[in-house]
Amino acid sequence: MSEVAQLQLIGLSIVGSGILILLFIKSQFVRVTGFVAIVLGLFALTALSVPQMASLPPAEEKFDIATVKTPTDLAAIGQKIFFSKGQCALCHSIGPSESARCPDLKGIGAKLSREFIFESLTQPQAYVYLDYRHEGLPKEYPARMPYINKDPIGLSKNEILSVIAFLQQMSGEPISVSPSELDVPGQAPAAPVKATESAPLAVAQAQ
Amino acid sequence: MQQRGGSIQRMFRALDGHGGWLVGLLLIAGYLMLPSIGLAAEGSAKGPTEYRDIPYIGSRNLIWIVAQLHLLLAGFVLGVPIFAWLCEVVGWKGGEKRYDKLAKEFTKLLTSSYATTALFGGILLFLLVAFYPKLMNYLTDIFFPSFLVYCLLFLLETATLYLYWYGWDAMQDGGKKTFHVFLGFLLNVFAFFIMIVPNSWATFQASPVVIAEGTDIQRAWAATWNPTWWPVNIHRLIANVVLGGYICGAYAGIRYLSAKNPEERDHYDWMGYVGNFIGVFGLLPLPFAGYWLMREIYQYNQQMGITLMGGFLSWLFILQAMLIGVLFLGSNYYFWLGITYRIPGAEMKYRKPMLWMLIILLLCLGVWMTPHSLVASLEEARKMGGTHHPLLGVFGVMSAKMTVANLMILVTFMSFVMYWRAGKVETAGWAKLARAVMGAVLVLASIAVIVLGVWGYFVPAIIRINYFSTSQVLIVLFVMLAITPLTALLLKSARTTTEMVWGRMPPRAGYALVLNATMVILLMTLMGYARSSSRVHWHVYGVMRDSSPYAFSPALGSAAVLMALCTFSFCMLVAFIFWVATMGDKAKAGHGGSAKGELPHGIPAMAGGAPHQHRQG
Repeated sequence: MSEVAQLQLIGLSIVGSGILILLFIKSQFVRVTGFVAIVLGLFALTALSVPQMASLPPAEEKFDIATVKTPTDLAAIGQKIFFSKGQCALCHSIGPSESARCPDLKGIGAKLSREFIFESLTQPQAYVYLDYRHEGLPKEYPARMPYINKDPIGLSKNEILSVIAFLQQMSGEPISVSPSELDVPGQAPAAPVKATESAPLAVAQAQ
Repeated sequence: MQQRGGSIQRMFRALDGHGGWLVGLLLIAGYLMLPSIGLAAEGSAKGPTEYRDIPYIGSRNLIWIVAQLHLLLAGFVLGVPIFAWLCEVVGWKGGEKRYDKLAKEFTKLLTSSYATTALFGGILLFLLVAFYPKLMNYLTDIFFPSFLVYCLLFLLETATLYLYWYGWDAMQDGGKKTFHVFLGFLLNVFAFFIMIVPNSWATFQASPVVIAEGTDIQRAWAATWNPTWWPVNIHRLIANVVLGGYICGAYAGIRYLSAKNPEERDHYDWMGYVGNFIGVFGLLPLPFAGYWLMREIYQYNQQMGITLMGGFLSWLFILQAMLIGVLFLGSNYYFWLGITYRIPGAEMKYRKPMLWMLIILLLCLGVWMTPHSLVASLEEARKMGGTHHPLLGVFGVMSAKMTVANLMILVTFMSFVMYWRAGKVETAGWAKLARAVMGAVLVLASIAVIVLGVWGYFVPAIIRINYFSTSQVLIVLFVMLAITPLTALLLKSARTTTEMVWGRMPPRAGYALVLNATMVILLMTLMGYARSSSRVHWHVYGVMRDSSPYAFSPALGSAAVLMALCTFSFCMLVAFIFWVATMGDKAKAGHGGSAKGELPHGIPAMAGGAPHQHRQG
């Protein structure tokens, strides 16, 4: 028996007990207790009848550089990050979507250079327009692209490059990110990371 | 071991005093428990312990239950003084002694419930220090100055409460009464600060803004003044008034159901009316405060807003709509029962409007509960042309929900006005004009709210949120602020055609009051889960990640079972507190041989004996 079924059974028992109390017990306090039990049991049963979605922490993706042999491997990792740790799909779609709150990324790898994408992810307020559908004066509450290299998302340079590889691949472009550009743990970075900001972990940006 | 024994003796000595034994036992239990908890500690080999756990129930669930009970008790303890003080002021200004007696009756509960709240606060603190040492260390580092302020506030609150309660009879006349009312005000001021200081710790976890430089006080102040602090403060303040009012109503409802004589029925019927009135009084502006809070959350971090409203918590808001809907229905139903049973002859006059109000409320609830997107199979989705139902999908969006929420508030307000005016005939020369103005304001406001709601579908979300929804809220507030004083003026010179008859309500009125209180408590537990889950896998959002095995938010079903458990436990605790607080009164009344016997401090057994003077038949 699943956990939900077990809990439903408990809920039903509580509602049943409440009904029995109301039918057979005369003490007013106990009757009110039975009534409250019925209300709470019905509430639990209602909550158990809606879709059950738990929020699991994002899996700690182990970026094993040894497994990355080709740019396609990199794009495969990027795809995973796009839909999980990167939380990109929370706002962006690939292709038109009613529920997308931010620009459709279909073909973005063909429209923008990899440097521009990198900058858009790590310095989103540099060039990315605050609210892409908005025209006219700046707004008080613009849709804001978060800093992807900072918490709470906090992608590493390797992870960001993988996402760029994925965006290029799904746009039908040749992948311009090479596995040799990845930082190897324990070694100094191969090249300075362009347009990356570092910030103390404990400092969150005030609005 | 000897050292531990010495420490225990020191604890005993430190806690010597009235009521200290209970806290002492708790301290010792916690102290002795720590080593066994330590067996389940994680990460001891690598560095300082970050988490501890206990078998079976799990550390997170235990913290959840204790924190929820502490918060509910705190809401009760902070809500009751507001309720009591309001009653005292009404009694003081209006000269009706029964309000003063009601205020005193509830203040008496404060002393025992205050201790229980502090007890649960102590348990919570021990458990947090034991189970989440890393987090507590981090928070202490930031908030240490405000911990001291919190302790000081507790001392001030306790001293004021003692003066307020024990000085009640001694400060009944003239300037002394004024001073007593001032003490009540002071009690609420301290209580408000006691609420907002820990609010800063909790809101900081959700919307942290940390300045790494500066003195301890500067850092604490910066962290305290985080983006969601004031919205939560205002939301909780109003919610506490609602909780206090509805719990008073539920208490009155239970006592009404078990009343043994007409005097008791009169009194507890009246008390239920007052409790429901104060509950509704707070309930009407509460959705506006909630709206402000959500807006601030979106402004602070859109991802968090989306997690709440469009992510895995979106179904929670359907449950919230259901609970609020039942609460609105319950409150209105109680008003309608009041019109029907307490004001003879009013039933026929108001039957039709009540029926229409019920229909509007049910329709609004239906819209509010419509989910934004449905969980459908591929085939079903294909038939519907997407995840949104072609017809019902229109009702699932915020524009529709904001509109119906405002309409429900308007209907509830009108129920209240209807109850207020029932059994009276306005005699003022301008009464006809006033009634026409009130009718016009109501109709125009309703039309404006609906037009803005429909228009909201055709403008970008940001314009709807910033201008349309805000305008809807302001329109409803305007209606309340315009009609309330106008009605008061109108009724000042009105002739009462039918006196209010107390004690005639059917038993279902008592159950309606209990239902309302249960809904409010459930709502508080539900939204507590939402607030906590919106941080997802972070202790402090974006700053300190939860790396414990409990870094997940459980699904709504299993969470709801815990919420129901917390609600039930809280109800039982409050029932116990009421029972303990009134035990002495019953004994005295029993010795006196009559339910009308005098209670300690000169309270007649039936506080508010006035109602039976109007009793008819």
